[in-house]
Amino acid sequence: MFQTIVTRLLTSIMVVFGALVLVFVIVYLLPGDPALSILDPSTATQEEIDLLRKQLGTDLPFYQQFANYAKDMLNGDFGKSLLNDEPVLSKIWTHAPATLLLAFTSTLIAAVIGIWLGVLSAIHRDRWIDIVARLVGLFGISMPTFWSGILLILLFSVTLGWLPAMGSDGWQTLVLPALSLGIVGSGFVVRLVRNSMLEVINEQFIVTLRAKGLPQRLVMYRHALRNALIPALTIIGVLSGELMAGTVVIETVFSRQGIGRIISDALMSKDLPVIQGVIFFSAIVYVLINMLVDLSYSMIDPRVRRMQARR
Amino acid sequence: MSGKETVLAKTVWKYDEKPPISRQRLLGRMSVPNLLIYGAGSIILFIIICGIVPGFIAPYSPTDMAYDIMAAPSFAHPFGTDYYGRDVFSVVVHGSRDSLFIGVASVLFGGLVGGLLGALAGYVGGVVDTFIMRCIEVLMTIPGILLALAIAAALGPSLFNIVLAVSLSAVPGYARVLRSQILSIKGRPFITAARSIGTPGWLIFVRHVLPNSWSPLLVMATIGLGTSILVGSGLSFLGLGIIKEIPDWGTLLSQGRGYLTVAWWISTFPGLAITLLVLSVNLMGDRLRDKIDPKQKRA
Amino acid sequence: MSRVKKNWSASLLLLSLTLILAITGCSGAGNNSKSPENKEAKASNTTGTATNKGAEDNGQPVSGGELTFALAGAPDTLDPHRNGWATGARVFRVIYDNLVVLDSDNTVKPWLATEWTVSPDGKSYTFKLRNDVKFHDGTPLNAEAIKYNYDRAINPETKAITARSLLKYYESAEVIDEYTVKLNLTTPSQAFLRNLTQPQVGIISPTAAEKYGDQYGHNPVGTGPFKFVKWEENVGVTLERNDEYAWGPELVANHGKPYLDRLVFKVVPEEATRIGSVQSGQLLAADTVPPQNIAALKNDKKTHIYQVNTEGLPFTLFINQSNAPWNELKARQALQLAIDVEKIVKTLYLGTYDQAWSSLTPGTFGYDASLENGIKPDVDKANQLLDELGWVKGSDGIRVKDGKRLAIRYVEGSPNREKRQDIASIVQQQLKQIGIEVNINITKDIKVVVFENDDYDVYGNGQMNPDPEGLRTFYHSKTQNVAGKHNLGSIVNENIDKFLDEGLVETDPVKRAEFYKQAQQEISKQAIIIPIYVFPYTVAASSKVVDLKFDTLGYPLFNDLYLKP
Repeated sequence: MFQTIVTRLLTSIMVVFGALVLVFVIVYLLPGDPALSILDPSTATQEEIDLLRKQLGTDLPFYQQFANYAKDMLNGDFGKSLLNDEPVLSKIWTHAPATLLLAFTSTLIAAVIGIWLGVLSAIHRDRWIDIVARLVGLFGISMPTFWSGILLILLFSVTLGWLPAMGSDGWQTLVLPALSLGIVGSGFVVRLVRNSMLEVINEQFIVTLRAKGLPQRLVMYRHALRNALIPALTIIGVLSGELMAGTVVIETVFSRQGIGRIISDALMSKDLPVIQGVIFFSAIVYVLINMLVDLSYSMIDPRVRRMQARR
Repeated sequence: MSGKETVLAKTVWKYDEKPPISRQRLLGRMSVPNLLIYGAGSIILFIIICGIVPGFIAPYSPTDMAYDIMAAPSFAHPFGTDYYGRDVFSVVVHGSRDSLFIGVASVLFGGLVGGLLGALAGYVGGVVDTFIMRCIEVLMTIPGILLALAIAAALGPSLFNIVLAVSLSAVPGYARVLRSQILSIKGRPFITAARSIGTPGWLIFVRHVLPNSWSPLLVMATIGLGTSILVGSGLSFLGLGIIKEIPDWGTLLSQGRGYLTVAWWISTFPGLAITLLVLSVNLMGDRLRDKIDPKQKRA
Repeated sequence: MSRVKKNWSASLLLLSLTLILAITGCSGAGNNSKSPENKEAKASNTTGTATNKGAEDNGQPVSGGELTFALAGAPDTLDPHRNGWATGARVFRVIYDNLVVLDSDNTVKPWLATEWTVSPDGKSYTFKLRNDVKFHDGTPLNAEAIKYNYDRAINPETKAITARSLLKYYESAEVIDEYTVKLNLTTPSQAFLRNLTQPQVGIISPTAAEKYGDQYGHNPVGTGPFKFVKWEENVGVTLERNDEYAWGPELVANHGKPYLDRLVFKVVPEEATRIGSVQSGQLLAADTVPPQNIAALKNDKKTHIYQVNTEGLPFTLFINQSNAPWNELKARQALQLAIDVEKIVKTLYLGTYDQAWSSLTPGTFGYDASLENGIKPDVDKANQLLDELGWVKGSDGIRVKDGKRLAIRYVEGSPNREKRQDIASIVQQQLKQIGIEVNINITKDIKVVVFENDDYDVYGNGQMNPDPEGLRTFYHSKTQNVAGKHNLGSIVNENIDKFLDEGLVETDPVKRAEFYKQAQQEISKQAIIIPIYVFPYTVAASSKVVDLKFDTLGYPLFNDLYLKP
């Protein structure tokens, strides 16, 4: 067990650094020139622009820029934003909590709605409940989040006045953005849970349990669901990553604080330190979530636990 | 025109009075799920026709900014007109081509590349597997839309680049799914049996492994078709969309969102078109999967 | 199978379904009712003058309260000298004061300076300062501080943008005594005094600037009516009242401390959210109201619309003459005749924006009103001009000459600010009629595409500016800001150069205005540009908000503002 965790950690570190290399290449390919976004071409002289490029190190050839970048990375030096000189780490530190909270809440909503609808439609396969549940789920994944977000604002903020339209202070501001992200996520979960429930329902042990005369509810929720949840858990792990990405759009719609907005701004202005900082952060979160998902397999599924013990 | 309608109505009424087949059998064949599938099929067919011969279906030119601006849906303009004074219905019909292209091309491209990588990793195993999967993991640490955003920003917003951006961000998903499927199939007795009688590796792969493992890929592809249109729409929202004379649905939706409280039809109809396409394709995908996957056939 | 349980689940499902339907349904119903009002307002609004009707209230101003104000864009910095975007200036306008202020009648009035004299050669300005002014950090305002400020702004290390072009002719400052400072210019400039009224040359605390260094933009300290409290990136900026403030300019009624306790700017980029947050009462005001929402908000009793046309250069399409055939007058005239600006402005802005007719906006010093309604769109004439140049329509309707298609690279920035991308789309259709293919390039990277790579035939730009001297950056042949080669339109015109140079030094206002009028006429005659619209700064505010005011460049002023209890 200990050994698996160690190898896991080592490969994770490799993956994170791989991601940083990839980020560097992408940012290098991005059009734009930070020196020109800091200075104004209509007033600055060519010498000043060249000087700034030198200061920023953007005038160096690719391999030298990469060497500098790798050196800073290995020293854990994330640098300052090229645009407003703010240290990247403090930037992430202030903005990450709001994004994590949003991603977590929407994953939770996606899981609850998704599992509920998925089980419902599996139990009532091909009945109208099944069809409605699936349509509701599909409805979620057939709308862009900015669209459902605006609809939610118009309904709950402007028309009904129940919830705030924007901001990131207090739980009230969390409801609408989490809902519009969660609805999308639930669409994926519904399908997955339905499928794996259908597989499990036909398995021998469920048939046996039913034959024994156990109540339907007990069989479904206690035994079938538990087995069906394993693949669902994997997708929830992946999903939470996707929902983190969804915050890029949703944070803009609801004008929330968060790293999603930072990275889209940084990408547009080619602000390499900020981009790499955020990607580093999201890579770590991704690795952690997947570890958690793996660990929780053994908690839900006794078979996996036994397998690990044997190893 | 009206003559035809009455004939049709009569036929239906006749059925009702004296069904030629028993009601039980009719309902059995036309159960709600079946009806849905037929509905979905005809919607997809219609959208494909729109994509191939839009000029045939659209009543007006999609670039003609000649009508009253922001007129509500009417007989002349069933979907209303937009803020340029274009006929929304015609724009949506013409927009189906690019929307379908984005959806289908990114699924094909992403699925092919991802599937190939996943198959290679899963079937060959060993160092190849480790290498491919580490690369895939690296890709996965960068959230899909960010990757798409970065690629679109790097290469500039064109239809092809959007497809590239969207499909690349979908590659890891396909690769992982196919790999895990192949891994689970590889250990099955029938593969061992085939190997023991000396079947060459590639033949086992083509004959036995692939046919048994591609069904989840199909389901992913049906979802992917819709999501890629939506990701394109998201890019447009973030300011990296394609500006064409005839925009795709995702772009239309994003461009019209500011008019929601003034002229809801501008963005709602393209949105509805996306929803219908995604719903139909997914329903078809589900049905296909149910048919292919032997495990899910009812006992 | 338990029937009760099944029904429970089923009803929950039904509920969620109804909810989704309600969302879509609601927005639909709401809109239908609004569209006729919209049309009505459009008709009554075609006069198009700035409507600046604040909430009328006869009561006395009330102290206290907090104003929340949604901005469309995030401020770039709160360091005025380094600022380049108007959205930042809207925030720090109230943190800083200037030496002088531009009154609503376009004359320069005292502010931190009580009086000033100009040397006979027009090359030095001597300012007497108020002696009772303190920065928020306690530093006293004196001649030394003024010198520090302007020297800092022109120092390349500061990386100043707008401030530097405003102080273009500033050379040095001399401290005469504690409260007297003399500013020396390289060239006499009639624009200098007006430029000193701009927020980008607001006076910052030298102590704070030294203390914070490159982090000063996050720790601003001025002498203005509001003090900086905090700035959370992408969330907003919080300011609080400066209780010692007693040096308000003539532009506002309340020269003492403002009535508000706190002023909170929020950054809300998405239009629907920004407007929604005011309609729902979550915030009290929001700026940059989309034209399509203006009518509905005007008719709403709970909200007011403020709209101020800004001075300077309107949004204008520049035709890059360094590329053939646009170096030919006839080709440019064809564009001028084929692009129906009136239709563009009416279609996209629904009567809320004014059409621009000249290279300056109405209200700017020296504006030539005689150019209004001067050009009538005429497709036939445009076709004829292109025919004369030998461009012949090909089979696809696009003109060809010597195997070359008549195509325009039209560069526009992203996002769709003030519907500028939509302008491009309409121009594309309009020019198709005369056989010109328009290839729209939407880019986030205007500075590289346009200024570095010179990769455009048409590019639109505008600028808020207090003085017609602003024309120089765009029209003078000495300005070579595109790839170091030429100005935005690649304009080399001796007459324009002469008018601008003489306008800069002419001390008689009447004669000076005449020079700029001649410059505008020449620009129009040579079909150098296609002026599109005059940008109005719009704010939607709750009717609780009383006496929100603006200066001539549309920067909001909060000195007189109070909240109805």
